[in-house]
Amino acid sequence: MRKHYIFYLLLFTMLSSITSFSQTREGVIKGIVTDESNAPLAGVSVSVKGTSRGTTSNASGAYTIAIERPDEVLVFSLTGAQTQEIKVDGKKVINITLVTAAKQLKDVVVIGYGTANKKDVTGSITSIKSEEFNPGVLTTPAELLQGKVAGLNVTKSGDPNAAPAVVLRGPSTIRTTGGAMEPFYVIDGIPGASIDLLAPADIESIDVLKDASSTAIYGSRAANGVIMITTRHSKPGQTRLTYNAYGAMEEVSKQIKMLTGDQLRAYLAKNNQKLAAADDDGSNTNWQKLLERKGYSQNHNISFGGASANSEYGGSVNYLKNNGILKNTSLERTVVRGYLNQRFFDNRLRLSLAVTNSRTKGNDVVQSSVLPGMLFYLPTVSPFNPDGTYKENYTRTGSGPLNPLSLINNNSIKTDDNKTLINAIVQVDILKGLKYTLSLATQRDEYNYNAYYNSQSGIYVGAGGVAKRNTYVNTSNILESYFNYDMMFGDHSVKLLGGWTYQQDRNNDGFGVGSQGFSNDNLSYNNLYLSNPSTLAQIPFDNTPISVLRLLSFYGRVQYSYKSKYLFQASLRNDGSSAFGINNRWGYFPAVSAGWNITSEDFMKDVPVISSLKLRAGYGVSGNSTGFNAFSSLLIYGTPPGNAKVLYNGNITNAIGLVRNDDPYLKWESTGTVNVGLDFGLWKDRLSGSVDYYIKKTSDLIYDQYPVSATQYVVPTYTANVGKIKNTGVELTLTATVVKTGDFTWKSSINLAHNKNVVEELSNSQFVINYIQTAQLGGKGQSGNYSQIVQNGYALGTFKLWHYVGKDQNGISTYLNSADSVINKQPLTTDMRICGNAQPSLVYGWSNSFFYKGFDLNFLIRGVTGNKILNATLAGLNNPTDSKLQNIPTFTLGESFKDINAYLISDRFLESGSYLRMDNITLGYTYKPHTESVKSLRFYVTGNNLFVITKYRGVDPEVNIGGLTPGIDNQNFYPKTRTYIIGVTASF
Amino acid sequence: MQKIYIAIAVLVTIIGGGACRNLDVPVESQYVASNFPVTTSDYTSLLGTMYANLASNYAITYWRMQELSTDEAILPARDGNFDDGGQYRQMHYHTWTYDHPYVNAIWQWGFGGGITNCNRLIKVISSAKLDSTKKVAFTTEIRAMRALYYFFMMDTYGNVPIYTEYNVNTQPATQTRAKVFEFIESELKAVLPQLPSKTNNSADKNLQYGHPTKGMAYALLAKMYLNAGVYTGTTRYPDAVAMCDSVQSNPNYFLDAKFRDIFLPSNGPQINETIFAVPYDQQIPGNQFTRFGFFYYLASAYGMNVGLSIAMSTTHEFYNRFNLAGDARTKTWLVGPQYYPDGNGGFTNQPVYYPNTTTQIVITPDLILVPPKPMDLGNTITTQSEGIRSIKYYPDVAITQATRLNGNDVPVFRLADVYLMKAEAILRGAPATTVNGVLQTQDWLVTQLRNRAGAPPAVGVTLDTVLDERARELSWEGWRRNDLIRYGQFEVDYPLANDPLSMNKDVSRRLYPIPINEIKLNTNLLQNDGYPKN
Repeated sequence: MRKHYIFYLLLFTMLSSITSFSQTREGVIKGIVTDESNAPLAGVSVSVKGTSRGTTSNASGAYTIAIERPDEVLVFSLTGAQTQEIKVDGKKVINITLVTAAKQLKDVVVIGYGTANKKDVTGSITSIKSEEFNPGVLTTPAELLQGKVAGLNVTKSGDPNAAPAVVLRGPSTIRTTGGAMEPFYVIDGIPGASIDLLAPADIESIDVLKDASSTAIYGSRAANGVIMITTRHSKPGQTRLTYNAYGAMEEVSKQIKMLTGDQLRAYLAKNNQKLAAADDDGSNTNWQKLLERKGYSQNHNISFGGASANSEYGGSVNYLKNNGILKNTSLERTVVRGYLNQRFFDNRLRLSLAVTNSRTKGNDVVQSSVLPGMLFYLPTVSPFNPDGTYKENYTRTGSGPLNPLSLINNNSIKTDDNKTLINAIVQVDILKGLKYTLSLATQRDEYNYNAYYNSQSGIYVGAGGVAKRNTYVNTSNILESYFNYDMMFGDHSVKLLGGWTYQQDRNNDGFGVGSQGFSNDNLSYNNLYLSNPSTLAQIPFDNTPISVLRLLSFYGRVQYSYKSKYLFQASLRNDGSSAFGINNRWGYFPAVSAGWNITSEDFMKDVPVISSLKLRAGYGVSGNSTGFNAFSSLLIYGTPPGNAKVLYNGNITNAIGLVRNDDPYLKWESTGTVNVGLDFGLWKDRLSGSVDYYIKKTSDLIYDQYPVSATQYVVPTYTANVGKIKNTGVELTLTATVVKTGDFTWKSSINLAHNKNVVEELSNSQFVINYIQTAQLGGKGQSGNYSQIVQNGYALGTFKLWHYVGKDQNGISTYLNSADSVINKQPLTTDMRICGNAQPSLVYGWSNSFFYKGFDLNFLIRGVTGNKILNATLAGLNNPTDSKLQNIPTFTLGESFKDINAYLISDRFLESGSYLRMDNITLGYTYKPHTESVKSLRFYVTGNNLFVITKYRGVDPEVNIGGLTPGIDNQNFYPKTRTYIIGVTASF
Repeated sequence: MQKIYIAIAVLVTIIGGGACRNLDVPVESQYVASNFPVTTSDYTSLLGTMYANLASNYAITYWRMQELSTDEAILPARDGNFDDGGQYRQMHYHTWTYDHPYVNAIWQWGFGGGITNCNRLIKVISSAKLDSTKKVAFTTEIRAMRALYYFFMMDTYGNVPIYTEYNVNTQPATQTRAKVFEFIESELKAVLPQLPSKTNNSADKNLQYGHPTKGMAYALLAKMYLNAGVYTGTTRYPDAVAMCDSVQSNPNYFLDAKFRDIFLPSNGPQINETIFAVPYDQQIPGNQFTRFGFFYYLASAYGMNVGLSIAMSTTHEFYNRFNLAGDARTKTWLVGPQYYPDGNGGFTNQPVYYPNTTTQIVITPDLILVPPKPMDLGNTITTQSEGIRSIKYYPDVAITQATRLNGNDVPVFRLADVYLMKAEAILRGAPATTVNGVLQTQDWLVTQLRNRAGAPPAVGVTLDTVLDERARELSWEGWRRNDLIRYGQFEVDYPLANDPLSMNKDVSRRLYPIPINEIKLNTNLLQNDGYPKN
């Protein structure tokens, strides 16, 4: 100990003697710099104003600085914190708290290629910070935002392996391939990075860019909105360690009431029917109960990071296991991230490197057979034969004829997806205000799909086990190079952006093959070599060719602000894609917007009630090219539909011919949006909100089924840009701090959105199509019938169905035919009428947060109204005449047994889809032990989907809203769950 | 220092920006115009599209238009199952409209995938880098197939456009049926010299199987001349006889010993009497005779492990024409109590029971409708076995649940048909001719088929006998509509029990309508008489 004391004394003497060479000493000031949560801040620059004297705070936040005159001013500054200046005034110790970026971030939004102050934004952007995210067993950003962003309509089922459907401000395309209707995701500035790389606990904030003036900077893929995700990084000057974990129990929230075995026997007996001997062994099997289970899930996240004077680094590991409520369905995901930012040359050069790896393993069942089978299969038979094998009756006709328990246990689908994203950024401050950024990102996705239908499987009977395996690698390389120039002269502030992006995607590098005929099931799909296929037809190859897509863009933007009062922004982007016709590869996407911060005007000083008022308006054009592959416009030779082959010279070979007409004029769909908005705040922003009105018109809609005459073309359809679709709407968001006393705070926020969608045009002079019939749902005796229609003047998802007019005196369902007479026979397709659509007229969410001392309670109620859902599941189940072959729901007990039309899909089964749901409610307690090591501990319990108020008779009204045929429940809805979660968040 | 930064940045931008406005990405994994076709086998695959297209619809959709509209086949609904928008019902009652799914599909099959594709192939071949013998051989093959497609279109729709160029810049206009007949005749005559002849060498047989040969061209001309009265208004029976003789001039066509062998799943180039057939296989989809025309509950008795449809059958009036003692062709129908097959065309005496019962399956011939659903038999166990089922295209044990395909090749022209055509032409006035030293009278011709089938020989054959013999010999081979129209009997209906609906007997129904979608897309097309113009 003595040695150390002497050492420090010597050091101190040396140091002070050194400084004494350069200046005379008045005195020494010391102190500790902390942030607003009392954590010490390292690396804070402490300097004497007007001189070159300075020092930096150490790891404990302590500094010492010499003072020459008592009127000197100390300047405390740190990147990302508000600089403070303190007069010395004779003090010897100055401790100071700096407001770090964490607090400032509340007012910062992420726009394309940069950030902006909320005050200066002229477009329609909604920012949600991590504390406002929805809790739950969630994996995607859309689920975190569900019900919290006006204009964002998210629907999801209980399927752990399925992504939710996400629609922003209404559907603006009629294509669905490759996510053409989904918004575009940008993760930490990397456009198009996969959302599978995200662990919700790692996300700091999400900004949703809704109108074209904000999204046009992303040009060709941004017509459906852009969702910008920022992940957590260390703040300068902080070290942190956080552990987040939760455990959840999920159970099915609603089942369809089907008859028990005894009830079915009684029903049949009452109607003088009897089950066939093979279909009744005295059992009472509840198939829904057999196939469903309580799903237990857990998530663990460790996130750590630190910072030194000129670097930040950190990493996180996230593990999620989500067991679905259907047996043998689950998702397991492990995300590992690491990043390092370092600054050189006086912070003029910044180098960053970030690596993220996400491994997702999924377990699934053949949902297309399991979901209907669970309902239809007779409850009067046992799942097993007396000898223990699965009991099947392959000769039974009717729906859902395969033993559901056998379907789940004898057919397994396992996927393994590994995604790696590496991002390197070089940022150079060239001159004052001029910054250059070079970003290189590469994303590699390796996807493996394995399926085994074993020898007992009812899907491949007698095949001796069928195995399918495929593996594909998709790589995406993105290079971005851009300049930012910010300058201020007087009251004018100008920010310029100019740059280009190069992206090349190489997809489907891989292959897939199947085989069958294994001598036993023990190896599953692990060794295809040991299969014994008897013909070539039993070894099918996947037809998924490699495709390479290249995107090039040049973009520029100018943002001008006068005294932060008058704001103006303009951007232009020139995008080219190799997917489009050789004549139309390049497109221009301009945008312009303006804003007026009315509260900055002098006349507003007389109205102190209004603390902020901003009027903004913008117009821009974005393109949509998602879902196009490299071959979309080319003349392609391929095998005929169904991979049909021919016999040539005794061998079966491929026939190769024209599979698509080429279109050298194929080009981008483009969406032009006008957005007018008003942001306001009253009583010092105690009540704040915004109103937006928009008109979104998409033209050059691509449809790939324009008919052409067989006397002129080999392939009967032609892909062309023709149609027009329009969305207009209003969004309102209100946030209020209702109560704020010393210990108790109540914040409430409501968002409402109304969108009207209409298909304006489907034809032009060259290609004419009066309507597109969609949604072939099948159903007994109805194969080939369509249930929806895309037609001028109607919204996407418009239903066209038979019109049910009640039952006649014999209890038979009757319908109105096209001549308006009542018929009791099955109508013709020409008797269908338009009857409502699946688009909601209002989507709303209401969240409330209560804080009392260390407790917090928040809940979210959300819902939709005005939409319709076609309950084709109930229609199919409602079949009294076939009740000897398949189970019926309790609903059918109210039908006449003689109703031979009961199962026909008609507007009788078109139900209101409105609902109000208690989406999540959380009670938490935060404990801040004032110790060095533990900063805070929060325990919470959450309940998801505690109740839903709806008239819809199906399993759940949150039926898919995306795609070309929204709002249809056709025995394909994975039941939604009610979840109970207990979790802990610990910060160190 | 600053200057260096600027210089580097500017350099990078210039290099990067300048190098990249190039969006030409090479196509590595698809055949596009620049890398296909190149080799001879590429061309063979390219020409394969004519045959893949033919197979796709010949044995289901085209067949249904030729058979469900007659007494040979019927596909009733069963308690709403198989109502399917009325598509089968409209065939039976001749009440199809100009937007019937088959009307649309077969037009697309014959023109888009057929004739337009052939025109395109001719153009590709003519500008290809191949030696001239190959070019001639390929072009001959394409023209012969195109003539066959034109024949199907002329027979089905009658007044269709004639066009041979590609790209088709002017929309082709409707021509009269007679003009189309002339065109087909001239095409066939032009390519006949270059078409190959069948030999007795099995390598040649393999190569030629399913492809046009001289025999096929002669048989097609024979069919056209026999029907010339219907197609053009002028009969040409002596020409029909001449063409039949041209077929027979090749001794490599002769009747096979066993009738059932012609239609087994293993049929192929080894069948001697096949002149032109459409090959099918588990990998060549388009034959689902067992899926639709067999009886569901007999599947396992015939060695199949799949679920079939309870659908198609023949009418009992048609079945009653199989009234010759000992006729092997009668055994292609299943009626009455059912027994396990003996694997050789006959039956054991082991009855087939319904699963898990000891009730023998009995197929009954009468179709008794159960109102109010139209053309509906109901779906009880008893009514499911109404309707005489066919095993002519013998059930294929390789059938899988996923696709339910048969591998039996379907003949288009065979020698038995040539014999019957000659017999009919003679009865209609053409002089009988001598072939290989035998004067082939109508009795002689029909007797050849009777002998092969094990039925009594034919004496005093009349036109009606020939029609019935065609029924027995060529049932379910796609010629019934053609035969009935020629005989003026297409409008004869055999009402079903309890049937409130009846057949549309307007003679304009002898032609199918041009699809209304096509008339809208090609304004130079004219609708056939008797159908609404818009």
